[in-house]
Amino acid sequence: MSAMNGPAVSVEALMRQIEDDLRLQLRTRILGRGGAKEYTDEQLFARVESILRRAVEEREQHSLLLPELLSDDQEWQLQTQVRFSSHRPILGKLIIAVKRRLLLPVSRWLYEYSFENFRRQQRVNVMLFACLEQLAIENARLCQEIEHLRKRAG
Amino acid sequence: MKLACVIHRFGADIAGGSETHCRIIAERLASSHDVTILTSCAKDHVTWQNECPAGLSEVGPLHVLRFPVARTRSLERFAEISEDVFAGRASAADQERWFTENGPEVPELIRHLQQHGSEYDRILFWSYRYYPSFFGVPVVADRAVLVPTAEDDPLIRMEILARFFTLPAGYMFLTPEEADLIGERATGPLPPFCIIGSGLDPAPPQTDAVPLEPLGIADKFLLYLGRVDPNKGCETLLRYFLKVQTLDRPPVQLVMAGPANMEIPEHPLIKRLGFVDEPLRETLLSRASVLMMPSPFESLSLVLLEAWNHGLPALVNARCSVLKGQAVRANGALYYRRFEEFAACLDYLLTRPDLARRLGEQGLAYVNREYRWPQVMRKVEDFLTSAST
Repeated sequence: MSAMNGPAVSVEALMRQIEDDLRLQLRTRILGRGGAKEYTDEQLFARVESILRRAVEEREQHSLLLPELLSDDQEWQLQTQVRFSSHRPILGKLIIAVKRRLLLPVSRWLYEYSFENFRRQQRVNVMLFACLEQLAIENARLCQEIEHLRKRAG
Repeated sequence: MKLACVIHRFGADIAGGSETHCRIIAERLASSHDVTILTSCAKDHVTWQNECPAGLSEVGPLHVLRFPVARTRSLERFAEISEDVFAGRASAADQERWFTENGPEVPELIRHLQQHGSEYDRILFWSYRYYPSFFGVPVVADRAVLVPTAEDDPLIRMEILARFFTLPAGYMFLTPEEADLIGERATGPLPPFCIIGSGLDPAPPQTDAVPLEPLGIADKFLLYLGRVDPNKGCETLLRYFLKVQTLDRPPVQLVMAGPANMEIPEHPLIKRLGFVDEPLRETLLSRASVLMMPSPFESLSLVLLEAWNHGLPALVNARCSVLKGQAVRANGALYYRRFEEFAACLDYLLTRPDLARRLGEQGLAYVNREYRWPQVMRKVEDFLTSAST
């Protein structure tokens, strides 16, 4: 068992320092490329980054409100599954078996190159839903606060 | 006590995480209890083909009772039902069918639990995602202790699990994050539980059992140890590593040690070793500069504990709450979510050797505190005794 040398290192404190440094570099880079002038306000930038980061990292499709409000997921959800069916009652089973054995491997082979792109698009969709929802939450919270302040003032 | 341990496959030559965890805990429990392993005849976790003879055998201190798998896994049917389940389109019946398709389907094991379950004082089930646990826990719920080995992956959101997670009489979790995860998913309060992790013996003193220079491994290197697989975050690790090489940084080698299920790019700074035996594994852990742990889904990560056992600091994927939690509790690893954090943390660990060494020492202190076998088995024994019916 080795004896410890030097003062204790807190990983959380070290990570905060690394994250602060990276945020500063990011802000400088975005401003340098002509990003929103509001980002000259360091605190505002940190707030925007934190809101978007929370949306991207903490929210997933299963816990989002927006997809629940869309009428039918068949109409908007990317469908990445290849399925075969037949309306014929007797020959149907045979046709499906042939399709599965012959057509499915070919379809998968042709489709495979784009499959990853569909998955990426799906992920982007979820992230955008999450960002919209996070902004809606922030907006609703601000509306509540304004309402509260109005009542107190008047 | 008379104990049963239910696991989907069993054997010293089986490398899976939950299978190994079950075996090493059961072997230690057998020193003071009568322990029977209830398992399938399968060895292959993809096909579940029957390979071991059915029936009772003695393996060291354990009685092992194997049951035949009713049918091998149809990957096509499994892929189809998985797509429906994970898209949230599956009915309760289809969700239940997912566990049958995932297998290994061992109806005789479930019948054994129905007929003989009451003969055991406690029945420990490993890994909720397989047929034996999913269909076995409800049969003997009053004496079932579940070791879920749960990860924060899409499966955990399956609706029918919300009730399932309230059924066992007790839980043994691997980390506090796992307890939180199951607690959030269960519809009611969790039964009594304890957090056991897994045990480690102290690492041997710094070893050079296998000379690394003839293998083409430099003095300073990053180590990835385990299955090289996209699901383990290896694609991202390799992409980030290659991107770091385009920045103005001193070159450092990445050693990928483990069987590969994906293509590893040809690059002078990437060393592929494939499967490594125990002496080489120990040498790599003793000599590496940083352990890389890019997996987004882990329920414990024994490799991370082994690295700390050698005083090795780590860089872990913060998208996995277990890895981030362990890094913070141990103060033994830095963590990243995106490339910029990955590069900055790597810089810290490689250019500040005092800080890196200190993180490694703190990791070792954490293992000494929490993960030595006597501590782990004391927790297990205390829990089973206090929860005994």
